[in-house]
Amino acid sequence: MAKFHLVVANKNYSSWSLRAWIAMREFAIPFTETVIALDLPNTQRQIKNHTGAGRLPVLHHGTTTIWESLAILEYLAEKFPDKALWPRSSGARAMARAVANEMHAGFMALRNACPMNLKRRRKPLARQIGDEIKSDVRRIETLWEECRKANGRGGPFLFGKFSIADAMYAPVVTRFDTYVLKVGGGARDYMDAVMDTQAFRAWKADALQEKWIIQADEVD
Amino acid sequence: MDDLHLFIGNKCFSSWSLRPWVALKVHRIPFKETVIRLRQPDTKANIRMLARSEKVPCLHHGSRVVWESLSILEYLADVFPELKFWPEDRHARAMARSISAEMHSGFADLRNEWGMNLRRKKSAKTLTGPARDQARRIEDYWRRMRSSHGQGGPFLFGHFTAADAMYAPVVTRFDTYGGDLSPDTRSYCDAVLATGAMKAWYAEAALEPWPEPSPDE
Repeated sequence: MAKFHLVVANKNYSSWSLRAWIAMREFAIPFTETVIALDLPNTQRQIKNHTGAGRLPVLHHGTTTIWESLAILEYLAEKFPDKALWPRSSGARAMARAVANEMHAGFMALRNACPMNLKRRRKPLARQIGDEIKSDVRRIETLWEECRKANGRGGPFLFGKFSIADAMYAPVVTRFDTYVLKVGGGARDYMDAVMDTQAFRAWKADALQEKWIIQADEVD
Repeated sequence: MDDLHLFIGNKCFSSWSLRPWVALKVHRIPFKETVIRLRQPDTKANIRMLARSEKVPCLHHGSRVVWESLSILEYLADVFPELKFWPEDRHARAMARSISAEMHSGFADLRNEWGMNLRRKKSAKTLTGPARDQARRIEDYWRRMRSSHGQGGPFLFGHFTAADAMYAPVVTRFDTYGGDLSPDTRSYCDAVLATGAMKAWYAEAALEPWPEPSPDE
């Protein structure tokens, strides 16, 4: 099989990159990687050199180029049916795709107010948390709870075993943790399970080594 | 097989609802539909009560509840593999999924400036910087998909796929606001607009009794 090469952005900040990377690691899919720092004068040129898509993350597989975190994960799910990147039961898979897609296109208030920033000291946002952010947090909490309740018996993740749905929510897990957003029920246990994966620890260790600072993502 | 029941918003402007609806119709999959009027004080409560969901579109299939346009399409692709919701070729399928996912979460400026509104008179509306770049990017995708994968028919990957369903609302935006389109863009838009499914959607939108959206919104 052709080799996989994943191009990601700064590990400290790039939530979209984390999703593809953590899933590939967690499912033991071998790949090589290139990290491109965002917001530098040569960023755009670097991205163009590495990919025709003009955006990150990008997965190269032979002559195929796939972009968008969720499309990359669908591609891998197809490529490795035995690894069950999505839940095996059709009903659980439908739900997993729905929650993954909701994450893919939604929760803008939360994402804008609380950028992923793994080096930031864990502390609440300095400014007051608006209603839109609160409602994003509540919705995510509810989704997690419903997934866990319906399908979570086989393990600590949303559908028991680690799946694409967990990869899609991994950046939000770090946001809840970094900005100490109050979450109830089993959310804390779920977050700990994600942050305790080897894949997440490896990503975070790499992130902590990075020297780049993106001022726009440094939020008090 | 259990019946399919699709819950959608107003046909005049609910771009997200159009996607699964047009795909179901093109593939001649029978389904029941319920339109929930958007922008009303009780919209949220109605969606919760009827669709058992937080948003439309939402598909019920037996006890299953699937929401988000792209995951409904993936679900249908799963349930009806013989209908080829995605291109058969692996490479083409990867492209189809990439551009569909990008449509699902992106092009926000374009979507804001060219809100889907089937009541608006067709006339050119100029886009500002980022929205203009997004329109160019979309046209570039269409051109590339058509020239690399479009041999078998008039759509992005030849036959009608989930990618065409994902871009169908943007097709209406180009048609409504785009003025004189480039020939490639025009011919792709026309192919989508000429499907029986799109014609039916427009016809039903025209019958909607509600005042929203206003024609010049």
